[in-house]
Amino acid sequence: MVHDHLPFRPGSKRPISPCRGSPGGCSRGRAGLISGVPARQLKTLSSLALASSLFLAACSRDEITHFKVPKSGGPPAGAPMQPPPGMPPGMGAGQQAPPGMQGDVPPPPAPDRGMHWTLPKGWTEERTGGMRYATLKAPVQGKADGSVVVLPGPAGGELQNVNRWRGQIGLPPIDDAALAAARKVMASKAGKISFYDFTSEGHTKSRLLAGLLEAGGQTWFVKLTGDEAAVTAARPDFMKILESLHLD
Amino acid sequence: MTENARSIPAPLRAVWDVLTSLKLTIVCLAGLMVLVMACTLAQVNLGTWGAVAAYMRPWIVWWHLPASTIVLPVFPGGALIGAVLMVNLALTGLRYLEPKRRKYGLMLVHAGLVIFFVGEFISAIYQVDTRLAVEIGQTVNFVESPRENELTITDVSDPASDEVFGLPEQLLARADTIAVTGTPLTIKVRRYFQNAELTNRAPSDPPSMATIGVGTQVTVKELPPVSNDDHQNTVTAYVEPVAGGVSYGTWLVSNVLGSPQSFTHEGRTYTLAMKPRRWYLPYSVTLKEFRHEVYPGTDIPKNFASLVQLRDPGAKQDREVLIYMNQPLRYAGRTFYQASFGKQDTLSILQVVENPGWLMPYIACGLVTLGLLVHFGIALRRALRKRAALTEATT
Repeated sequence: MVHDHLPFRPGSKRPISPCRGSPGGCSRGRAGLISGVPARQLKTLSSLALASSLFLAACSRDEITHFKVPKSGGPPAGAPMQPPPGMPPGMGAGQQAPPGMQGDVPPPPAPDRGMHWTLPKGWTEERTGGMRYATLKAPVQGKADGSVVVLPGPAGGELQNVNRWRGQIGLPPIDDAALAAARKVMASKAGKISFYDFTSEGHTKSRLLAGLLEAGGQTWFVKLTGDEAAVTAARPDFMKILESLHLD
Repeated sequence: MTENARSIPAPLRAVWDVLTSLKLTIVCLAGLMVLVMACTLAQVNLGTWGAVAAYMRPWIVWWHLPASTIVLPVFPGGALIGAVLMVNLALTGLRYLEPKRRKYGLMLVHAGLVIFFVGEFISAIYQVDTRLAVEIGQTVNFVESPRENELTITDVSDPASDEVFGLPEQLLARADTIAVTGTPLTIKVRRYFQNAELTNRAPSDPPSMATIGVGTQVTVKELPPVSNDDHQNTVTAYVEPVAGGVSYGTWLVSNVLGSPQSFTHEGRTYTLAMKPRRWYLPYSVTLKEFRHEVYPGTDIPKNFASLVQLRDPGAKQDREVLIYMNQPLRYAGRTFYQASFGKQDTLSILQVVENPGWLMPYIACGLVTLGLLVHFGIALRRALRKRAALTEATT
């Protein structure tokens, strides 16, 4: 709104006293420029007050904008700005990025660094929008859901995420010491990956494999979860996927 | 005080005396010095824009009492001091400067200073800072805000074009219900977060406020806003589109959620997304070449230069422009400065400034310079005449 926009940036001004360097120019009690017309002095005051009011009334920075833009005709693109740290590829601002008023403008550049991997034979992937960067499907019998999820920043922290995953397969939460014991550190071109492998208790067991990677202010989660037998069958290939992770 | 000035009623006379007081000038200058110092120190924690917003732009500098919600006024803000100083400079000149030739220089100086302050107010109110990022070979015809976001509602039903409506986040922050003119939609703002952390929803998390879309799987935790130059807020909101008395559910929108979410009302499909504020231009800029020079043997930048093709069919413009440091492109009320780069020197980022008052500081400096020259010229002439008279008298 208007009222908090006002001038003066540090160092941008160096006001000079009206009397500085003007001997006699500002001495008290001298006749003024309009000393014969006091009413004009009041008018001046009124004008200044009016001008200030106009300034305040004029600010309309929170108005709704409306544009009609030709369709891009191409795949959605991210905003052209340098992304803030922690804004991952799949979560970049803006997707439709219309090309322009002239209709011949290609989509703006996608500024984010994307995550890539090598799919083992028989695996398929589907790139999706939003927080789920991709869905992976393993060529195994039974339920095995693979996902690549990216979130800005630490995404709640490693312990919290691991405990959330454990909760999803019915395991109790663990503390920092147990977390460190469960963690296996792997190397990839995208950076070090913290790998976890949990299997639930009970008659029908579930298994969860998860790689957690922090890169460029984002946290990437590559996860495979499902029936124990299916996940176990897909585990060697899943490890290859983790090892092949690399950024643009 | 003059005879006529004494005819002003006593209360107004007191105001007049205060506003034309030279002590007030000194107090304002001292106040500005304090503000500049405080603002400079505050940049460590708040970043440049945060510090300017806290100290220089408001009328009052506020202080949050620790561990409470109490906010106390602690100092006049830059706007207040600047306004008082501007009025003081103008009125002091009117009161004390006689309409005589020997005062012409000082009048010009006063006029220059007042124009300078007016220009600062105009800049603060009307200036819009945006950015244009373009890769080599690409063409862009919009600018985006580096700090502000908007809820973008796009009617994508037309096969040839989209209708894009931008609801600024400031509006989301203060309004409960927003009618989107040009559409049958009304947006109810259920919750707005200037900054938040988004995480996958855990089973133990409370139910999401979102009833539809990706937001149903996300937990939102409010965070204090950041103003550091290196960080951006994760602007997030729960919004409920309503049209024709029908609610289309509560959606989570955030500038870290990429895919627009959509719903259909009476055959027209609308997408929702939180994105940087965007303004489309009636012309386009194509980046033909980008140069990044460094000092030999170092990584220290020496110069960045973007060779762009400016196309404006409406104005029959189609020309190459070289934008480099301290050599911006000024076009159609906007100034494009070379600001940054990325993607292994294939992406150029131009800072775009739209400021109707951009000429005023130049005019002000010109007037002040001219005024000082005139004043010292008059004083010199007077001194030389005195010396000549003295010499004549003693010989």
